[in-house]
Amino acid sequence: MSAWFDYTVNGFVIGNIYALLAVGLALIYGVANLVNFAHGSVYVVGAYIGWAAITHLGTPLPLTLLCVVVVCALVGVAIERIGLRALQGSSRIAPLLATIGIGLVLDQVVQLVWSPDPRAVPMQVPEWRIAIGGGTIGALDLLIAGIGCSSAAVLYGFLRFTKLGWAVRATAQDSDAAQQMGVDINRVNMAVFAIASVLSGISGLLVGMYYNQINPAMSFEATLKGIVALIIGGLGNVPGAIAGSLILGLTESYGIALFGTSYRNLFAFVLLVAMLLWRPNGLFAPRRAAAPEPMVGTFIARSLPVKLPRWVVPVVLLAAALLPLLNQPYLLQIGANSLMYAMLALSLTLVAGTVGQVSLGHAALLAIGGYASGLLALDAGWPVALAIPAAGLITAGLGTALVWPAFRLTGHYVSIATLGIGEIVSLVILNWTGLTRGAIGLGGIPPLELFGVDLGSVQGTYWLCLVVLVLLALLQLRLLSSHLGRTWRAIRDDSVAARSHGVGEDRYKALAFGYGGFAAGISGAITAHVYSYINHETFGASLSVLALTMVILGGMGNVLGAVLGATLLIALPEAFRALAEYRILIYGVVLLLLIRFRPQGLMGTV
Amino acid sequence: MSALLELQGLNSFYGPVQVHFELSLEVRQGQIVCLLGGNASGKSTTMKSILGLQRPRSGSIRFDGADITGLPTPRIIRRGIGSVPEARRLFPAMTVRENLLMGAYARSDKPGIAADEARVLALFPRLAERLAQRAGTMSGGEQQMLAMARALMGRPKLICMDEPTMGLSPLFVDRVLELIQAINREGVTVFMVEQNASLALAIAHHGYVLQAGRIALQGAAGDLLQDHRIRDAYLGGAATG
Ligand SMILES: Nc1ncnc2c1ncn2[C@@H]1O[C@H](COP(=O)(O)OP(=O)(O)O)[C@@H](O)[C@H]1O
Ligand SMILES: [Mg+2]
Repeated sequence: MSAWFDYTVNGFVIGNIYALLAVGLALIYGVANLVNFAHGSVYVVGAYIGWAAITHLGTPLPLTLLCVVVVCALVGVAIERIGLRALQGSSRIAPLLATIGIGLVLDQVVQLVWSPDPRAVPMQVPEWRIAIGGGTIGALDLLIAGIGCSSAAVLYGFLRFTKLGWAVRATAQDSDAAQQMGVDINRVNMAVFAIASVLSGISGLLVGMYYNQINPAMSFEATLKGIVALIIGGLGNVPGAIAGSLILGLTESYGIALFGTSYRNLFAFVLLVAMLLWRPNGLFAPRRAAAPEPMVGTFIARSLPVKLPRWVVPVVLLAAALLPLLNQPYLLQIGANSLMYAMLALSLTLVAGTVGQVSLGHAALLAIGGYASGLLALDAGWPVALAIPAAGLITAGLGTALVWPAFRLTGHYVSIATLGIGEIVSLVILNWTGLTRGAIGLGGIPPLELFGVDLGSVQGTYWLCLVVLVLLALLQLRLLSSHLGRTWRAIRDDSVAARSHGVGEDRYKALAFGYGGFAAGISGAITAHVYSYINHETFGASLSVLALTMVILGGMGNVLGAVLGATLLIALPEAFRALAEYRILIYGVVLLLLIRFRPQGLMGTV
Repeated sequence: MSALLELQGLNSFYGPVQVHFELSLEVRQGQIVCLLGGNASGKSTTMKSILGLQRPRSGSIRFDGADITGLPTPRIIRRGIGSVPEARRLFPAMTVRENLLMGAYARSDKPGIAADEARVLALFPRLAERLAQRAGTMSGGEQQMLAMARALMGRPKLICMDEPTMGLSPLFVDRVLELIQAINREGVTVFMVEQNASLALAIAHHGYVLQAGRIALQGAAGDLLQDHRIRDAYLGGAATG
């Protein structure tokens, strides 16, 4: 009995922490129609600023909080002013991708300044606990609840009684009309980003104290949890976000009580996907209404594909085929890596570019492919040459089946749903110990070989990848120029028109995810055999973002562009090995610059 | 009488599609001027251009003696233009009173705002009874009145209305037209867009007819009412509508 009391307190406290995150997300969604994927990164900034203030300056709690508030407000203002304002009026996915880039950059800056190692946040409240009805409540629990409630009260007062607060509400309800009342939308956006970032930063600090530990990697989970709470409450619904956060916190806490800690996130993401499918407008929407308007629309920047002279592709291909003759193992290693990533990029450029379903969970397909091939080889004793194509087919089938329920979603919702599905895949891998060996991972995966010919050498891997990539690219080009390709583009450009022409949209989306799953599954399978060891974290969400960056760099939907994008992003940082530390920072900056200055990518969109 | 608002040679585009072709018109101080035209002729785009929501590729817009082309919307509003947008565009989750005060957002003279609130409520007594009601829960006619009252709260020199009678019952249409005249009598210049030509010309001083992005016809409202081209093109359809 007393344990249940403690789990309830714990769920409520975590719910408060999520609420500080989710309220900001709701405010931002309200005024800017944008799901801010950089939100968790600000939370990490808040946590580290608090830690730094306590450890280096020895600040007492109120001063610590003040430091966090000031710095995070500035970060919020900078995100809006530098990162997002220029993107008004560009394609709708642009600001969302920009927040992903901003998040990458912030995370990397934190890592570079404070190192990726975890830090312990000194406790700044007394250690006493009071016993209530068999359970206990600590001072920190009360502090978190107090900050949560008083933030809500201050926010309520701001929105209800100040002029800027009115402007925020008016902008959220109808930003065009608000402008026609003389509201400066830019100022409103900036204020909202500042407020949201402050709340997020405070949340980070409190989490640091609660778990007594912070690390830069917690940003991703924070963003996701905030989004889950936001979706439960309904996008843009501030009170809903608070309720959604408490529901999420309690669900997680009771889930842990019943099933154990490793299931915590599984609950959160299953809740997310279930909400997206059955109540996309949140628990509190009056009825199951259609998704709000700003979530649909054209998602890529239009341009003409760049035309290359006819000789370029054959010559580059020939050079690539002859590369092993140079006898430079390190170069080949990079080449093979690029080729494996290029397969992933091919897959994503079809799904995100050609069909317009911007997937943020694409790495999960690699994981499925890698595990399928590894397990077939290890447990079923299949030859590698059979296991890899089989893994491609399994990924095609399983991947399509997993996103199938999400097919009727559009726009941002697709991105959020695929992100959630991707996390679920990795959590299932972690928890399905009987099949996947759980956290231990899959070791001793046999090396590449083709009917007895050993391809485990760098040359062998490289050649195999090159052949597979060329075959996949040719197949994709063939598909794109067929009737199927035209239908895919019709779905992307105008779902409504595609539907009214009797296109069975789901079937065509399934074909796209099927092909995409096949290509990505092969890539994951080859990777598994090359690495010989994989676990549930090998193919993490950051890989999905990297793949998306490659695709945007090359030009959404563009086959050659995908290959070029993958090669550039993998090979260039290697060429400047001194920059290795800054690699992900560079990815983030590249992503931001592209979205701002060349959204059609290097090769143009198709 | 001088021109309060003057559009000179506007060419507006949505992407590659041109919507205005060398559009010019003027609205004189103290008048009610209406812009007539069929569906998709570019009327709302004219409003958006004046309000700075849609920037013309070329041409100029002058208001109250200054060039306002390309200014951001809030700055244009602060110069003294009030807007009654197409389909009203109230803040549905805010109360009637909050909507009214949003209309005065650009002002900071508290006593003046309070005085104007009293004045506007006297003009729209229906709203006075519903100050605490959420705007989104009112009838279409009441919402239209709130939209007009909200625009007046900014104490504008010019008020721009995009199809203020659209979707209203005949009773409310008459009421809205009376109110437009009342507003005008208080010294506010009115520029309104209408599809319903006979109704608009009945209260206007001057009219323009927009056809596929060009001014096809213009003149004093009384003359236009008599013009057979207007009769053929609009009044027939409008009278039955
Ligand atoms: N935001 C927009 N994007 C693209 N085309 C638009 C947009 N708004 C209006 N149009 C097009 O411009 C033309 C004129 O529209 P509008 O000014 O709204 O006409 P009206 O108000 O006279 O009905 C129409 O053909 C319409 O389809
Ligand atoms: Mg119109």
